[in-house]
Amino acid sequence: MSMLEIWLGILQGLGITAEVTAYGLVFAVPFALVFGIAQFLTTGLTRFLVTAVIEFWRSSAVVVLLFFFYYVLPVMGVTLSALTVSALVLGLNAGGYASQAVRAGLQSLPAGQREAGMALGLSRPAILLLIELPQALVAMSPTFVNNLIQLVKATSLVSLVTLTDMTFRAKEIAQTDYDPVAIYSALLLAFFVVCYPIALAGRWLEARVNPERGTRRGI
Amino acid sequence: MGFNFDFALTTVPTIIGAIGTTLLATVLSCLGASVLGFTFEMIRRGGGAAGLAVRFLIDFIRSTPVLAWLYFLYFVLPFYGIRLGAMTVGILGLSLYYSGYLAEVFKAGIDAIPKGQQEAARALSLNRRDTVVFVIAPQMLRNVAAPLGNYLVSILKATPYLAILAVPEMLGRAFDIASETYRYAEPLTVAGILFLALALLLAYGVRRVEQRLLAVGRR
Repeated sequence: MSMLEIWLGILQGLGITAEVTAYGLVFAVPFALVFGIAQFLTTGLTRFLVTAVIEFWRSSAVVVLLFFFYYVLPVMGVTLSALTVSALVLGLNAGGYASQAVRAGLQSLPAGQREAGMALGLSRPAILLLIELPQALVAMSPTFVNNLIQLVKATSLVSLVTLTDMTFRAKEIAQTDYDPVAIYSALLLAFFVVCYPIALAGRWLEARVNPERGTRRGI
Repeated sequence: MGFNFDFALTTVPTIIGAIGTTLLATVLSCLGASVLGFTFEMIRRGGGAAGLAVRFLIDFIRSTPVLAWLYFLYFVLPFYGIRLGAMTVGILGLSLYYSGYLAEVFKAGIDAIPKGQQEAARALSLNRRDTVVFVIAPQMLRNVAAPLGNYLVSILKATPYLAILAVPEMLGRAFDIASETYRYAEPLTVAGILFLALALLLAYGVRRVEQRLLAVGRR
C-alpha cells in the first residue's frame, strides 16, 4: 500500500473520532456545569455526595470504565451501543475534570462580585448566572481547551470496543499490509493534525483572556 | 446470566496478585517520564535548533494519544530489529508520553523561581551546569512536587493500557480470567474497584506528602 492509501484509510476513521468527541461533549458540558456549580454552592452531606460522583469519574481509569460499561451493563440487563457507551464514559470523564475547573473558577472570584450583585437586589441564581459564571468560564477557557484535546485523544480507546475510529482503521490496515512504521506514524500524525490546531487556538485564547501572562526565559 | 457475587470474590486474589506489576509500571514510568521530561525542558531552554526540535516534539507528544504511542513502539521497534518485552515497551511508551507533560511541569517549576536566584548564581560565577544542579533543581523540586504527584496518579490510571500489550497487570489479569471463564462482568468489576481504590489511596498519599512539603517550605 502506498503512503497515500494508508493515510486515506486511516482518515476514514475520522468520522467516528469526531462523532464520539461530539457526543462526548453532550455528556461532558452539562455534567461539568451542573456538578461544578453544585460543588461550589452546596455544603455538608450534599457536597460530599456531589464530590463523590465527580471523584468517581475523575479517579477511575478510563480504559477500565470503558470495558466495565461495555461488558458489565449488558449482564445487568442494560444494553447500550458501543457509541453510546464510549460517549458516556469519555464524556463524563472529561466532564469530571472540567467540573473542577468550573468549581475552582467560581471559587477564585472575589467576594465583591457576589456582594455587588446582592447590592443590586439580584437573586442568588441571577448572581450566579449573570455575574459569577460568565467570569469563571472566561478564566477557565484554557483548561476547557485542554480537556477537549484530552477527549479527542481518548477517543482512540473506542477502537477497543469495536468502533471503527482512526486507531481501529490503523490496526485493520496493519493486518493486511505489514508496514507498521508507515501505518503507526500516519496514525500519530493524523491525531496531531486534529489536536494541534485546537491547542494553538487554546494558546491564542489564553493570550486573549490573560494578556499579561508572558513566558519567562532564563538559564 | 446475572452478576455472580461469589464468582467475583474468587477473582479478587488473582487480580490483587498483579498489583505489584501495576505499581512497578507506575513508578518506573513516572521515573522515566521525569528524567526524560527534565532533559527535554533543559534542551528546550537551551534554545537553538535542538531547542526548537524538542519544543515541537513536546507539542507533538501532547497532541497524540498514549494508545497510538504504545502501538507505535510495540510494532515499530521489532521492525527495526529491537525486541523488547511487553512490560519494557509499555514503560517506555508511558515514559515518552508523560515526559511531554512533565516537561511543562518542570517549565512552570523553574519559571516560578525568582529570577534573582539565577542572577545571584551568575554573580558567583557558577557555570550553567552548577546553576542547574545546586541552585535551580533543589528549589524546583519543591515547586513541582504537587503536579508531579498528580501525574503519578495519572500514570497509575494509564497502566491498564498496558493490558493491550499483554502485560499481566491488574486489567490484564482480569481479562485472562474473562477469556478462561467467558464471564467478563465479575473480573472487570473487581479490576475497576481495585483501580479506583488504588487511585484514591495514591491521591490521598500525594496530598499528605504535599502538605508536609508545604510545611517545610513555610519554616
